[in-house]
Amino acid sequence: MSHDTTASRSLFSGKPLRILIGFILVVNGMFPALWILFTSLKTESELTLKPITWLPHAPTIANYLRAFTDQPLLLFLFNSFMVAILSTALTLFISVLAAYALARLQLRARDLILSAIIAVSTFPLVTLLVPLFEIMRALGLLNTWVALILPYTVLSLPVCTLILVSFFEGIPRDLENSAMIDGCTRIGALFKVVVPLSAPGVFTAGILAFVNAWDEFLLALSFNSNPALRTLPVGITLYQGEFAFPWPVISAALVVGIVPVAVLIVIFQERVVSGLTSGGIKG
Amino acid sequence: MATASETTLVTTHNESGTKWWTRFLDPSERTLAVLLLMPAALLLTLIIVYPVCRLIWTSFQSLSLTSGLPATFAGLENYTLMLEDPVFWETTWNTVLITLITVPGALFVGLALALMANLPFNVKWPVRLSLLIPWALPLSFAGLIFAWFFHSEYGVVNDVLRRIGIEGVIWFNSANWAFAAICLTIVWKTSSFMALIILAGLQTIPRSLYEAADVDGAGRLRQFFEITLPLLKPAIVVALIFRTITALQTFDIPFTMTRGGPGTSTATLAMYIHQNTVDFLDLGYGSALAVVMFALSMGVTAVYLRMIRAKG
Amino acid sequence: MTLKTTMTLLLAGAAVTLSASVATAQTNLRVFVSSQHRPDVWRKAFDMYEAKNSNVKVTIETGGNTSEQQAQYLNTVMTAKDSSLDIMILDVIRPAQYAAAGWTVPFNEVLGSDAANYMKRYLPAYAEANTVDGKVVALPAFADAMFLYYRKDLLEKHGIQPPQTWDELAAAAKKVTDAEKDPNLQGLSFQGKAIEGAVCTFLLPYWSMGKQLVSDGKLSFDKDAAVKSLKLWKDFVDQGVAKKNIAEVATDDTRKEFQSGNVLFAVNWSYAWGQFQGAESAVKDKVGVVKLPAVQGGQPASCLGGWEWGVSAYSSNKTEAQKLVQYLSSPETSEFMAINASLLPQFPEVYTDADVTKAVPWFANAKPVVETAKARPVTPRYNEVSEIIRTTVNGVLAGQSTPEEGATQMEGRLRRVLR
Repeated sequence: MSHDTTASRSLFSGKPLRILIGFILVVNGMFPALWILFTSLKTESELTLKPITWLPHAPTIANYLRAFTDQPLLLFLFNSFMVAILSTALTLFISVLAAYALARLQLRARDLILSAIIAVSTFPLVTLLVPLFEIMRALGLLNTWVALILPYTVLSLPVCTLILVSFFEGIPRDLENSAMIDGCTRIGALFKVVVPLSAPGVFTAGILAFVNAWDEFLLALSFNSNPALRTLPVGITLYQGEFAFPWPVISAALVVGIVPVAVLIVIFQERVVSGLTSGGIKG
Repeated sequence: MATASETTLVTTHNESGTKWWTRFLDPSERTLAVLLLMPAALLLTLIIVYPVCRLIWTSFQSLSLTSGLPATFAGLENYTLMLEDPVFWETTWNTVLITLITVPGALFVGLALALMANLPFNVKWPVRLSLLIPWALPLSFAGLIFAWFFHSEYGVVNDVLRRIGIEGVIWFNSANWAFAAICLTIVWKTSSFMALIILAGLQTIPRSLYEAADVDGAGRLRQFFEITLPLLKPAIVVALIFRTITALQTFDIPFTMTRGGPGTSTATLAMYIHQNTVDFLDLGYGSALAVVMFALSMGVTAVYLRMIRAKG
Repeated sequence: MTLKTTMTLLLAGAAVTLSASVATAQTNLRVFVSSQHRPDVWRKAFDMYEAKNSNVKVTIETGGNTSEQQAQYLNTVMTAKDSSLDIMILDVIRPAQYAAAGWTVPFNEVLGSDAANYMKRYLPAYAEANTVDGKVVALPAFADAMFLYYRKDLLEKHGIQPPQTWDELAAAAKKVTDAEKDPNLQGLSFQGKAIEGAVCTFLLPYWSMGKQLVSDGKLSFDKDAAVKSLKLWKDFVDQGVAKKNIAEVATDDTRKEFQSGNVLFAVNWSYAWGQFQGAESAVKDKVGVVKLPAVQGGQPASCLGGWEWGVSAYSSNKTEAQKLVQYLSSPETSEFMAINASLLPQFPEVYTDADVTKAVPWFANAKPVVETAKARPVTPRYNEVSEIIRTTVNGVLAGQSTPEEGATQMEGRLRRVLR
């Protein structure tokens, strides 16, 4: 009876069950964010009521006003956004080139290079904090976006390259060859044929890179000490005072930090999921 | 596919009369490969290879910036100190334990989420969004949010427990409960990515396989174990390896939730490295710790590489 | 030298002719101020200095809101030998560390042979905390100490005097909480979370027994006293004087809970007073403050807080920076900050200044406490010492280890660090 085309069909069926499952999924995914939203609308005195309240009794936007006035939240957002966008662009550019070389060209050291890329992706950046700091200082890059863009690019480069390699391998060589017969150079063919055909993969890689950069905390904390260059995750910790930990204001700032990414995801969800689902990461 | 503007850049495949720039635009395969890999290689050298070399070198030095003394060669001193350091063993054990708990945990939860999300929902976006939101949420945000969840007096977890008649616990007052809270948070945060990858794998499984199984009269459970799981294996293995490696580096969530407390009972190796280098400025010792973590990660990576090789 | 003098004269001449446009000779000083200590009011103090010294322009930098975050930030700046900061405000535990690392310049040159005398102006504990091997490594910005806050109304109601010893405190707490029958009323709130405050938690009874942790840079750990100290706090929890989850309680939790009327006695820094007497407080005008209790047969001891001004060794304007610091660490600025930012003065006489007593009357009670406060161990490896103590206190209070086990662990780990 059902129109489901996929594997799970074999485990679950029936409409009420499906609704229940959907509910479980949504609660699991959304509840933490929702709870923070509720918290951000409560006053500090409502927050210390026992037993605790779930929905705010008297919703207030005062915490949001404080979130924007206590710290330059808009600036944090701007910095986070620019660093994430620029490092994503750089990651994609570099990994497209590398992935093409690995997927298409005759390389004797191909396996070695792939192994090296995987090995590199496993290195914990926390351990490189000090040498990286020294390098950034030597290059005069402390307190610039570049100080974050370079390591963030490295953070995502291996996984993006691997994703793109598998996508490029899935593109028939004939398409490329016919483009070259039509007068395209190899690099021309890469950007005119291979990349557009791998759009879902490029998109997945891009989203991964963006989220990685958006997420990063430790390097941002250490390299960009100038308040004007702070990113959002670091900025949010600044609401915490020497003695005070103002949960409602922190919650408001968290909500403001979650919204842009949530919006991006709502807009692009089809492409994100299709990117991942069209064989994005395969063994 | 070539556009008009492209024709000006056209090169022929015949060797004669090529200018240097045409050769640049259509070089030999090997040159092209080198050129294409160059940016990645340069960046990785600057950000990873050179720092790692420095790190290894520093691990053999006695270098504490707070002492005001210049670095001196210390041989294996940092490493012998480490073996006698109870906190090193504790944080390493915690890291291994977090890995052993949260990696399978995220796999099972992720698998369940993926199977559920793969159902033919009439409205798909809420389900998709609920997998994507936890994945896109910064780890530090997740740590903060769940620290609030597990707050013993004002947290929602104890409130729910109270409502169903269970006395809540003071989560961060006990090593075991704090550890459990951290593991739960990590599983929640990482299972969505696991689910997304498995979902990707699920949707590549051809429908015909199930139809054939139906014809053969195989039950649904059998279909799951004999078709779904084997075909998902490659996706799962990749996801597991990446999850394992990031689990070994666990930092943000315990850092924001417990700071390693009570005592040092929930501190991880990454936190101990960070503490020794950033707070204590004992770069020699911190580097030695970092080398150990590097070795751990490399161990996992080696297993991964072997698996890839074995598959050909 | 002559060239320099000529230049100066020329510039001075130019300044006169250009009437006040002295931009060419300007020194820019970047000052790191802790954001929790009213940078807005410090800004006014800088404005006053700029008005008198038109060649100096001061910019404020803040970063991180807690002492720990600020230390991390300054650690990276100093490690990088970064010259962008000229002056830094430092938690009282740090000047010795910074001096050992060579990150600050001593003031002895500007103060001349009179340095020791110059330091006598300050409360003795601050003269001591800022002098390392005869070198003045920083100058005090303001003072602080831990106090015992209590509910005046409740003690009066039950006819109890503020306790002199911790035992008296426990007895008083029991009597009041038993009589009040309010399940939300805690007898005592203190800091059990693994924060810097927990170091003071451990040291208060330890010091009170007359013991030192570090003498002359060497560990002088008294295990008996350590066990007794840890046991004292753990007993408060076990007897129900302090709440069960005290290991989760940080400084501001103590403040909030006392302020909402749920705490009888609280151990806290001076900032809490202003909050208790604020409009949002449930205990306004019901609060008393005294020095902390002693152990039976011991001396009362408080933990010394406060912050200091240091000049970066990597600054390119060290002389101008030191001049500014001398202004910032003067009785005049101290008085200004006491009145406008409620920061405790580092000079004994400022406590009794008429304007100060008018603006912040309770400073009169605070003076004897600050005067008897003890400084935490002075060692370049203080961060490690602090981490060991605070995690042990936290672990014992959470029931992870017994006081005996905790003291043994603490001693073992401290010996590794201060070997």
